[in-house]
Amino acid sequence: MDEWKPNPTVKPHKKRSWYLAWKYKLMNQRALRKLCQTGAVLFLLVTVIVNIKLILDTRRAAYEEEEESAQDYDDEMLNVEAPRHPVNNKKVLDVEVYSSRSKVYVAVDGTTVLEDEAREQGRGIHVIVLNQATGHVMAKRVFDTYSPHEDEAMVLFLNMVARGRILIFTIKDEGSFHLKETAKNVLKSLGSQVAPFLSWRDMWTFVGKKGGEVYGEKHAKSPALSTWGDPVLLKTEVHLTSVEDAECHWPDTELNRRRKRFCSKVEGYGSVCSCKDPTPIEFNPDPLKDNKVFDVPVAVIAGNRPNYLYRMLRSLLSAQGVNPQMITVFIDGYYEEPMDVVELFGLSGIQHTPISIKNARVSQHYKASLTATFNLFPDAKFAVVLEEDLDISVDFFSFLSQSIHLLAEDESLYCISAWNDQGYEHTAEDPSLLYRVETMPGLGWVLRKSLYKDELEPKWPTPEKLWDWDMWMRMPEQRKGRECIIPDISRSYHFGIVGLNMNGYFHEAYFKKHKFNTVPNVQLKNVESLRKDNYETEIHRLLGEAEVLDHSKNPCEDSFVPDTEGRVYVMFIRMEQEADFTTWTQLAKCLHIWDLDVRGNHKGLWRLFRKKNHFLVVGVPASPYSSKKPSSVTPIYMEPPAKEEGAVAVPAVAAAEQT
Amino acid sequence: NGAAFSKVRGSQLGQESIRWHVVRKFLGLISSHNIPVYLIDPLILGLVDKDIEQIRSSPDGPSPECKYFCTPRDFTTFALLDKTWKHEVGLFRTAEKMGFQWLKIINKDPRLDGMDDLSGMEIPLHYIFKLASHAIHLVVFYERSGNFLWHGPLRLKQHMDRKFVPFRKLHFGRYPGAYEKPELLLVSIDDLKVQIPKNPSSFLEEISHSRFLECRYKEARAFFQLYPDDASLDAVEFRKKAKSLLHLAALTLNNLGVKFWLSSGTCLGWYRQCNVIPHSKDVDLGIFIRDYKADIIPAFQNAGLPLKHKFGKVEDSLELSFQGEDDVKLDIFFFYEEDDYIWNGGTQAKSGKKFKYLFPKFTLCWTEFVELKVHVPCETLQYVEANYGPEWKVPVKTWDWKSSPFNVQDNGVWPIDEWDNVIQIY
Repeated sequence: MDEWKPNPTVKPHKKRSWYLAWKYKLMNQRALRKLCQTGAVLFLLVTVIVNIKLILDTRRAAYEEEEESAQDYDDEMLNVEAPRHPVNNKKVLDVEVYSSRSKVYVAVDGTTVLEDEAREQGRGIHVIVLNQATGHVMAKRVFDTYSPHEDEAMVLFLNMVARGRILIFTIKDEGSFHLKETAKNVLKSLGSQVAPFLSWRDMWTFVGKKGGEVYGEKHAKSPALSTWGDPVLLKTEVHLTSVEDAECHWPDTELNRRRKRFCSKVEGYGSVCSCKDPTPIEFNPDPLKDNKVFDVPVAVIAGNRPNYLYRMLRSLLSAQGVNPQMITVFIDGYYEEPMDVVELFGLSGIQHTPISIKNARVSQHYKASLTATFNLFPDAKFAVVLEEDLDISVDFFSFLSQSIHLLAEDESLYCISAWNDQGYEHTAEDPSLLYRVETMPGLGWVLRKSLYKDELEPKWPTPEKLWDWDMWMRMPEQRKGRECIIPDISRSYHFGIVGLNMNGYFHEAYFKKHKFNTVPNVQLKNVESLRKDNYETEIHRLLGEAEVLDHSKNPCEDSFVPDTEGRVYVMFIRMEQEADFTTWTQLAKCLHIWDLDVRGNHKGLWRLFRKKNHFLVVGVPASPYSSKKPSSVTPIYMEPPAKEEGAVAVPAVAAAEQT
Repeated sequence: NGAAFSKVRGSQLGQESIRWHVVRKFLGLISSHNIPVYLIDPLILGLVDKDIEQIRSSPDGPSPECKYFCTPRDFTTFALLDKTWKHEVGLFRTAEKMGFQWLKIINKDPRLDGMDDLSGMEIPLHYIFKLASHAIHLVVFYERSGNFLWHGPLRLKQHMDRKFVPFRKLHFGRYPGAYEKPELLLVSIDDLKVQIPKNPSSFLEEISHSRFLECRYKEARAFFQLYPDDASLDAVEFRKKAKSLLHLAALTLNNLGVKFWLSSGTCLGWYRQCNVIPHSKDVDLGIFIRDYKADIIPAFQNAGLPLKHKFGKVEDSLELSFQGEDDVKLDIFFFYEEDDYIWNGGTQAKSGKKFKYLFPKFTLCWTEFVELKVHVPCETLQYVEANYGPEWKVPVKTWDWKSSPFNVQDNGVWPIDEWDNVIQIY
């Protein structure tokens, strides 16, 4: 299959008159070329008439609008993105949908609600959901169905849209390459006749009501692999229903009022807006006994991924011991929908005017959020920092409540993190076990106020330095040899697929198989042993007990570790000095754990599980634990693959995402 | 017993007891929603303070007469700690059902004001609940960095009912205020159970000096646009040391009960850039000479800050300097009040020359600075201008304390025989 390449010579269409579409069609048929001239004159005439009518219509419309706005001048704020407020007696919306290679747009009653002609962006199927009673835009999404798995996301989204909503589809550039049967069937069930046959570089527009009538569909086939279908423009009318019909009749409670406000504004959140059996928006999880983190503020760092935020807040508010009053959601930018989600859950949200770009923007957003958190909760000694693309374990606060005193008392600690970089399904086993690591995993962590106020805040990277805040925090100048406490089994789960440094492939390779604790009330084991000196005693005890594995075998093979359970094994790898991770990286690769940079080490020691046995890896001679190596054992050395494999050089940005 | 009492009062005194009834209803309202409020009405606390011993000793005793809540007034003032309630809308529904009209005054959250470009939700600063001819003014207090409570000013927005209550008469709201976190006491007065500050007289004293000034964050941002902040490691280090020195000084002086304010460069730093000026190299405080205590020097020495020099004497031009960590110095200037100006003195060690720095009269306000609640002159602009001249907005790196200040005057020379006393260098 051809690789998709944008063709820079083709200019985007400037006009959006319906006759253009027709003109395109005619021009492609050589036989009709001669007719063109006569046709053109005719069209011109028609255009003039149509335009005059349009001007008149617009005037009348503007007139009506004026009257309308005069009537309800002190009404609540109108949704800016919404098309003109339909007057009570107006029951019909004019909808225009355009699909082409380089541009898509949707206009509702003359107002453009979607326009995308940016180059190399917005490829795939654009979906717009309108409220069937008001015509307001409730959701706008684009699914790049040229790429894998995006069709699944689209199906998920479409299933969540309430019955009766108006759905508008249009393709930009290419939307069929990874549009699988399931997705096509869903589109078919919505009434599309073309969807099952959509193919490479076809143009397509469709307007229909979920679970109801079809208002129109247009399609242009691509004539050849190398070219696109002709642009299509669909103009149709949609009949509005009454507001009564479009709303659910939930009992009038404070919670349902929030729900109603939310559900009449946005779409794509599924059962929270279900009329019959809406999913709760208040969770009341069991309180924690002796909760040491009840008064610790929780900062949720968010961008414009409202669906992620919704999922994240649900899990956070369901965690035992959560204190909703301590939660603040910091939204990077003036986005409405994330704020709607925050209000749905009755939490407080703060918007942040973006400063700088890309990684530096995120970094500035972090700084503002952390500073604001400690301003808002001046008594707090700590803050929990979360991101919008995390699931939070049911025992997240219980885990922190049991360990937070260490962060207060042990100055050799940098943070407590809920995330174990090396805690995969096949390498993590014990929910009650904690480690000390020299890296700072992020992804749900606790920050000490004094660390922030005295050290980090004053020298936080300025906007012009395009640094990742987490990479910066991991630098030796900041970390100063301090360590973080992490659980063996993570208390957070990174579900984000779309992100600054994130894509589907990367997520699947490094995050999907991460283990996530689902057991409530786990009693952590021997928390005191995590203190600086105690931990050394503990490690020496473990190494003393550990059986040395057979170093003549291949450590990548499953048979390297005997078929036992609950034993402690140790292997020694070559590690010439503190920063020599050659063998470790190869080992990590073949064990299918995090190998993009070095994570989870403590003085040249890594701890994980293999086949339900505790598995220790010691780097010799750099690690102080090298002395435990029997003299007969030669540390294993694994060579990095030859240079030809260019893929090994993972771009730095990929490694950066880890938080 | 409340009901019986109300019957008597209600029938006998009519107008006077309306207040009592409204307060009772209000207390019922807020206790039904588990909202802990406390009484901060200055007039009632004034009356309560006179009888405080008796009230403390009989927290449940019935009152023979209605002494406090029956003085006819337009309103009664209560306080609410923001973090102790959840902003439930239910409260207002119940209030309406009980016949209250209510008004909410919201405004920007000052705790986010210092932050670039953050816009949070506006926060409620004041509530007014009105029933019949009496109103309850509920002041919302917020915790701020520096371990104190803050309440906002009361400003009406365009569409608000300016005649809802006689706003000008309200005791709280003309200015924002800063308070210590009060200890509370549950008492029964006029057969109503209310929480009051445990020590009403000190609370009343606090009210009279509570005015709070917010730092000028917007102007500070504009300043940094013009003169980018020094982010060098030295600057970061100095700021950190200056902050901890200021914290230590505040702790020491507060323990002694000596009132002080930010002066000279430290005051300029607060006013101009809401931060410590990194090239200032010391921390400057002012103290009125009438607040001088002989304990000051030993107290600082005990806190680990040795005396570096002492110039002048209590009667004239006193100035103390303590050595902080790594060359960061704490200078304390004592201020002398005259009829129409205030001054402090300076002494040149090698020549015995005296200098005098003149300031227009000023009062003291609270502010928040490097996570501390501290005093600054309320009339800050005049203070800073007197000291640094009209060009105070322009950073100056070379500074001579004998000639640079705008308000310096020669003040003669110390007599030689006094030198041993008025020029002490350690």
